[in-house]
Amino acid sequence: MIQLLHTPFHERTELLCQPKNWRRWAGYLVAGSYEMSLDREYWAIRNTAALIDVSPLMKYLITGVDAALLLNRVVTRDIDKLQVGQVYYTGWCDEDGKMIDDGTLSRLDETTYRLTSAEPSLRWLTMNAVGLELEITEITDSMAALSLQGPNSSSVLNRCCDNPVDEIKYFRLMHNELDGIPISISRTGYTGDLGYEIWIDAKDALPVWDALIAAGHDFGILPVGILAMDMARVEAGLFMIESDYTSSDHAWIKAQQSSPFELGLGWTVNLDKPGYFVGRPALAREQREGSTWKLMGLEVEWDGLEALFKDVGLPPQILSMAIRASLPVRSGKKQIGYVSTATWSPLLKKYIALAHLQKPYFEPGTNLRMEVTVQHHRQYAPARVVTLPFYEPEWKKR
Amino acid sequence: MKTYDAIIIGAGHNGLVSAAYLAKAGKQVLVLESRAIPGGTLVTEEFDGFMADMVQSGNLCPDIIRNLKLARFGLKPKPVSEIPAFISLLPDSDILVLESDPVKAAESIKRFSPKDAARWPDFLTFMEKATKFLESAYDTLMPRLPKVSLSEGYSLAELALDLRLAGRKNMLNIIRVIPMTAVEFLEEWFESEQLKAAVASVGIHGVTLGVMSAGTTFNLIHNWLNRGGLAHQYLGRAGQVTDALVAAAEAYGAEMRLSAEVTSIKIEDNQAAGVVLKDGEEISAQTVLSSADPKRTFLTLVGPMELSPTFVWHTQSIKMRGSVAKLHLGLKSLPDGMAADTTYTIAPALNYLERAYDAAKYGQISEKPYLEVTTSENVISIHFQYAPYKLKQGAWNDKRDTLEKLAVDTLAVHFPELQSSIVKSKLLTPADLETTYSLTEGDLNHGQIMLDQFMFMRPIPGWSNHKTPIDGLYLCGSGVHAGGGISGASGRNAAKVVSKEI
Ligand SMILES: Cc1cc2nc3c(=O)[nH]c(=O)nc-3n(C[C@H](O)[C@H](O)[C@H](O)COP(=O)(O)OP(=O)(O)OC[C@H]3O[C@@H](n4cnc5c(N)ncnc54)[C@H](O)[C@@H]3O)c2cc1C
Repeated sequence: MIQLLHTPFHERTELLCQPKNWRRWAGYLVAGSYEMSLDREYWAIRNTAALIDVSPLMKYLITGVDAALLLNRVVTRDIDKLQVGQVYYTGWCDEDGKMIDDGTLSRLDETTYRLTSAEPSLRWLTMNAVGLELEITEITDSMAALSLQGPNSSSVLNRCCDNPVDEIKYFRLMHNELDGIPISISRTGYTGDLGYEIWIDAKDALPVWDALIAAGHDFGILPVGILAMDMARVEAGLFMIESDYTSSDHAWIKAQQSSPFELGLGWTVNLDKPGYFVGRPALAREQREGSTWKLMGLEVEWDGLEALFKDVGLPPQILSMAIRASLPVRSGKKQIGYVSTATWSPLLKKYIALAHLQKPYFEPGTNLRMEVTVQHHRQYAPARVVTLPFYEPEWKKR
Repeated sequence: MKTYDAIIIGAGHNGLVSAAYLAKAGKQVLVLESRAIPGGTLVTEEFDGFMADMVQSGNLCPDIIRNLKLARFGLKPKPVSEIPAFISLLPDSDILVLESDPVKAAESIKRFSPKDAARWPDFLTFMEKATKFLESAYDTLMPRLPKVSLSEGYSLAELALDLRLAGRKNMLNIIRVIPMTAVEFLEEWFESEQLKAAVASVGIHGVTLGVMSAGTTFNLIHNWLNRGGLAHQYLGRAGQVTDALVAAAEAYGAEMRLSAEVTSIKIEDNQAAGVVLKDGEEISAQTVLSSADPKRTFLTLVGPMELSPTFVWHTQSIKMRGSVAKLHLGLKSLPDGMAADTTYTIAPALNYLERAYDAAKYGQISEKPYLEVTTSENVISIHFQYAPYKLKQGAWNDKRDTLEKLAVDTLAVHFPELQSSIVKSKLLTPADLETTYSLTEGDLNHGQIMLDQFMFMRPIPGWSNHKTPIDGLYLCGSGVHAGGGISGASGRNAAKVVSKEI
């Protein structure tokens, strides 16, 4: 029998998760939400502090004199520039320059790196390490991870950690201690807000959870499930594998694959780094010739939406959660793209979406139309192309 | 500093053929050979005062001999009447003598089966047609499936025509038998165990397969083509063929440097830029041809970091697995009953051969080995199968005595005086073949001759047209299509591809 795994925090999350809406994430069970509605959890991310169990992230430790050689070969960013204590967000591609996966890469010391991914990556890493002197260890199960997100997150950590976290700059990490437990804290996250990810030996998971909940009490900390995080990440313009792009490992046809340029990750493709890296020739070609698709933001125009609903005698009906579904996008009567995730943004009070648009329709300001379902009928609401992210508080990077 | 149009890694016969063709076409060519003598495996080498041929046959394709005018440099094919016999040594001092003259051969076969004797000429005709087809295939560049370009399509159509010219029945038959086991194929022709086993031995020669393995009929046709029949034919001693190739290449203007091991191929922006030698010297050239085996070329000389992961993986997956050892015996004189310049096979029965192979499957040395023995005036050279490169137990250096004794004892059954006439011996284990001759895993052919590594899949699917993922780097050795064994075909084909591009 196939059994989904429990994360190291399950003893706590199981009791807290009222709706029992467990979600599958990389073979693990995680809470969709802890409360019956997502409102409070969403607002914890934006206003206070949200504690999210992200242990199912795949994690790999890459150690050895040739570790940087391997990573430079696999990922698109220039690893020679990654300093000890720094974190890169990066994607990696197949030989045709199409995205396989994306994740964060932390340099823990001179020759040790930690890579996170959404999909199992051990085989790909090993395949690329032929002849190299290094060791690749999968630490997905042995390392627990919590994401603490929201404007109060630094205050929570300062209250319970031995060393203040204020000094950690955006996409940097530090070693710290909490009640005598060694932890690593990176200033990273998936919400576009001030936030941290905390990396813990799985055996220490529960005391760390408890300490954070206790320290966060005065700062409005709330356990938050992945559904509220899904809304926040769309506002932040962050895409997700399998819903916003298909890993080239899983694509049946070429049309299902995406390049980093098409996903707006051109800034992570360092064609100026020396030597071969996987996908380089194809990526260089795409950079020269330009991409035919681009991931952009789409804002539905409220008046137009309201009018469609008014026709059937209803006020606008929008689910107050992210919808991971493909919705056609048109220019006139012609389909020129599709939305991969749409959400109501409680903060912006807008219906927003991540949209894959064909050239030349991806220019900001372009007026398009996006499918909405009005009383069981498919209709098209007017929408405008905008740059991502939709929302970026000034404290995110400060 | 002198610049070269092309650098060729390895002065084996294929590297030399490429060099001669390119030099003749007016290119500035430099051949770099790691050993102190040229020839690769096509060499006659001295050991303790005896001269031994490493390989049994030294045939080159007739068009290479013609085009490079090798006769001028001392090479002349021998007349058919001088082609030696292929003799199967059987228990109880019996022998089956397969002379190249079909009438004489039929005489010998008759003692074992009159029916087989009657079929022998038809069998030779069929093998003639099959080898002709293979020869055309080895003269055709294989396409990069599944995309076939117009010019590739044209030469493929020509190949299909050659096949068609063999006659409709023969055409279907050739295609039908290629994947068969040697046993199945020969059982369709003959009833005599002795005859079937003698011929089948050529189907397993040089490969780590048994007579009951699929595709050994293909290897039989392949070896038959390279040998020019069952027995090994001689253009001369192995070293003389190499001498002629060196003389020709140099006469056409190629330069050769011996004791010049290439440690890496320089690559700039996915383009070959030259080579680095062991002593650190760098030599530049935009075109590099490698006759080192594909595994060595890509994984050591180019290095996996310059190549895509899938390509590296496919290269790692090339089956090398050598299982041949070579034993040269220097003698006072040939033992009684043994003739010079003759090929003997110890392949008395099909089951005997298959059991010899069984050992290899389990990483063991065959207790009752298949031997092929070639002779000169005072040296006999024993090709020993199976001696697997990867031993299940122990290291090759500890097995030398075991192997030598096995080989000598097996042969001495037929020549009792052998033991006492041995003066010196020289053993080459698969490990020696790797260290001395740069044959990865001791694989004679730079990659097994098997169905999933032939034609458009040699060395790996998509890369059988001599080109490589690195611009300006080409393969010209045995590991690429048309290669495997002595013929020069892959060296010739590579030169044709390269001269079109530089
Ligand atoms: C024991 C034995 C028996 C055989 N029997 C037969 C037979 O009966 N019939 C037959 O047709 N074939 C036979 N073969 C196979 C045949 O000899 C080979 O397939 C053929 O010689 C390969 O020719 P080549 O020129 O492609 O490569 P090789 O002869 O292997 O030549 C390659 C050359 O490259 C050189 N080289 C490699 N790496 C480097 C480097 N880094 N730098 C510089 N130089 C380098 C090597 O030293 C070598 O000289 C036999 C082989 C062996 C070993």
